[in-house]
Amino acid sequence: MPSHVLQDNVFTIDIAVPRQRVWDEITTTGRIQLALNNTVLEGRLTPGSKLRYYSPDKKRVFVVGEVVEVTPPKRFTHTFRLLMQANEAPSLVTWDLEETTSGCRVTLTHSGWTNQVRTHKGTAGGWVGILKVLKQHLETGDIPWTTKLLYAAMGAMMFLLPKATKVEEVERRGW
Amino acid sequence: MSARVKPRRAADLDPVWRALASPIRRHMLDLLHERPRTTGDLAAQFPGLSRFAVMQHLRVLEAGRLTIYRRQGRERINSMNPVPIQQIFDRWVKRYHQPWLETLVALKHQLEAEPAKKQRA
Repeated sequence: MPSHVLQDNVFTIDIAVPRQRVWDEITTTGRIQLALNNTVLEGRLTPGSKLRYYSPDKKRVFVVGEVVEVTPPKRFTHTFRLLMQANEAPSLVTWDLEETTSGCRVTLTHSGWTNQVRTHKGTAGGWVGILKVLKQHLETGDIPWTTKLLYAAMGAMMFLLPKATKVEEVERRGW
Repeated sequence: MSARVKPRRAADLDPVWRALASPIRRHMLDLLHERPRTTGDLAAQFPGLSRFAVMQHLRVLEAGRLTIYRRQGRERINSMNPVPIQQIFDRWVKRYHQPWLETLVALKHQLEAEPAKKQRA
């Protein structure tokens, strides 16, 4: 296997709540998803529709993509273009939810890699945090204070993000 | 930081500790951290182990959710799942004040390296 081939990143976590609750959480539009880095998902969740993950104030967009598959409450797949690396091609994110005896097993697969080296490097750690916080949020109704602190810091540092994340810019490019 | 750790949630990590307790399984994790591998590829890295033994070790890793596999034709592609390691880190390292820990570990490495330097000089 040549070393430049980017590997699929696969992450999994068991969450002790019914599968439907996990599904509802990750597919909720129009309100903050605490586990998903405090973003707001917008878009019609039907194949072919565009989706965006916004900052809470809706002035920035972190991720744009196109819905590929929505099979409630099992699978949600969308293309994924990280606007911090806007010049890299979109990759593919798949959420798989399986029922287990104790609740739900969430498996996230980040695939569709060609040469998006920066996106590949920049997202792996992020998904670990997202799954971990998703578990805590759904099981306890709370998120770690360190995560809250991180969100506050992120909110204050929006001006550091590349121009490509600005809503006007995203509109201009038709993403 | 929340001071209460629910025993049930801490016990979630028991299978992870069990999986990490074996040097062979830790070596397997290192190999899978490099890249996903088929079971055959993984077994080839452990010439002293039967394929059956490798499968048994993989099952223990899977029980701790440290590895995931998917089927590709007749092959199993195994990959590493870093989430439980992060959970262990959060539960057992972060809680006990990491900056101090880093200082102490650095001190240990420095002190242990010193006699070697003197010998060389």
